[in-house]
Amino acid sequence: MTAFYINLAIGGLVQGLIIALAALAINLVFAVGRFANAATGDYVTVGAYAGIAAQAVGFTSTLAQGLAAALVTAVLVPAVYLLVFRPLAGRPAATFMIASVGVGFFLRYTIAFFVGHDQYTFLRPTVRALQWEGIRMLPIDLWLSGLAVLAVAAVFCILFLTSAGRRLRAVADNPELARTSGIDVGNSMMLLWVLVGFLSGVGGMIVGIKTVVVPDIGWNILLPAFAAAILGGVGNLPGALIAGLLLGVVQELSSPIVGFVYKQAIAFGVLVLVLAVRPQGLFGARKAVR
Amino acid sequence: MDTYLVAAFTATGIYVLLTLGLMLQFGFAGLINFGHVAFFAIGAYVSAILSLHGVPVLVSMAAAVILAAMAALPVGLLAIRLREDYLAIAMLAFAETVRISLAAEQWLTGGINGLTGIPRPFFSPGIGRADNLTYLAFVLLMDVAAVLLIFRIVRSPFGRLVRAIRDDENAVQALGKDPVRFKVVVFVLGSAFGGLAGALQAHYVTFISPDQFTASVTFYVWIAMILGGAERISGAIVGALLLMMFLEATRFISDVVPWISPSDMASVRLAAVGLALIVCTVYFPHGVVVRAARR
Repeated sequence: MTAFYINLAIGGLVQGLIIALAALAINLVFAVGRFANAATGDYVTVGAYAGIAAQAVGFTSTLAQGLAAALVTAVLVPAVYLLVFRPLAGRPAATFMIASVGVGFFLRYTIAFFVGHDQYTFLRPTVRALQWEGIRMLPIDLWLSGLAVLAVAAVFCILFLTSAGRRLRAVADNPELARTSGIDVGNSMMLLWVLVGFLSGVGGMIVGIKTVVVPDIGWNILLPAFAAAILGGVGNLPGALIAGLLLGVVQELSSPIVGFVYKQAIAFGVLVLVLAVRPQGLFGARKAVR
Repeated sequence: MDTYLVAAFTATGIYVLLTLGLMLQFGFAGLINFGHVAFFAIGAYVSAILSLHGVPVLVSMAAAVILAAMAALPVGLLAIRLREDYLAIAMLAFAETVRISLAAEQWLTGGINGLTGIPRPFFSPGIGRADNLTYLAFVLLMDVAAVLLIFRIVRSPFGRLVRAIRDDENAVQALGKDPVRFKVVVFVLGSAFGGLAGALQAHYVTFISPDQFTASVTFYVWIAMILGGAERISGAIVGALLLMMFLEATRFISDVVPWISPSDMASVRLAAVGLALIVCTVYFPHGVVVRAARR
């Protein structure tokens, strides 16, 4: 019986990794761009389809497919910034959010138009799960977790160990002050969106391997990712990671109780709970909320 | 042809109500509601279920409006006191949760198969043209009533206060008024409009299922509102008309162009809505209609 719940928790951690990557992308935009980016889910979708495209042209290794996915989104997402979000500079956050919904719809249904609503899958050899006292672990899950950890580590290294990352954090803190200190805000914004694209692409690859690739694949993780971003504290990067993992585990552990269908509604339940009890999130500052 | 026009105008009239509700919330009070479809769904299902259990249609519709408003209250109270984007995110999640519940609770809602045979109101003389015409008249009557109500609200002291809150919340707070309370009232009112639209939809199409209530409906309404200019009643009507012309035109294209399937066309339609949202926010911040009128 314990093994049953441990297996659920392991499955939840893998789900949580996907949510955490998307939540991290959301909180990066919250921290610097200061708006809720509703297109994040569809960036993930683009990543998943880019991985499928890489497979279709003959790349068989998961790593190569993942790199292709991350590369495509790391180019496309900054391009969206240049075309849509940069011209909106100085407008209210609501305008940015509405535009981000537009971006999401445009990306999702452009993909749907060209590839149809057929399901695509990443072809992988079936490998037996590692077993220990009834606890099962798929080798691919270990690989994907390793991949996700590496991707997150890379983003944090860029943010906290390089001077470009320091400049980006300065812009997040106070754009005017950063500008007067001689920081090129435009460059920093490009770095932000490259990182957002990179995280979304990796997330898309992982969710694509764990499920089937359909145009709604990213939309379906948008709400859990938003819930995790708020649970972790708006704009809080480590918070987004922890909350994402937590939400994934809670979702899986709750499924025997609430059933498969309502598992998807857990994100809303968590969101309501956070808004009611601790709107600044687990690790957020109170002032950010009002 | 005139049967077609009656159908198109009825659908437009229902979208006008939805757009007016969203306009109250966003254009009037600055509330970002990304889950408007939830109240459309609640209104449709409440009215359909009650009337299928023998409750007179007009009573069912009234109950639908009240229940949609009541459903808006807790989410509104919870999210409106916080950052403005919290409401948007919470409503996005609320609408998805409503749709999931409608698909799951088969005993009440018919699950993914939906509900069929929803009755028309008593004044309908039966199935056919006259029936559709009287229903159209009823929908337009509701539109007129909604517009008159909004006029009253906007010109009342309450309306002035809400607009003042939108323009400068801190100033209103300094006057000793509680901005949150007024915003919640507007939110509930706008959602009641959504509920009425849902009830009208259910008794018009007589068949409803959860896949008629996806997030795309919410953003159809957003684009209708933005096209018309978010702060004008006439804009809501013009916007809903433009939206309906666009939806009908794309349907027409998929009928006459053989190599575009209806599902491809649905993708084109929604991609176009996305593009329109982008173009409108970047280039037409005050709506297309207003921009055209000022020239």
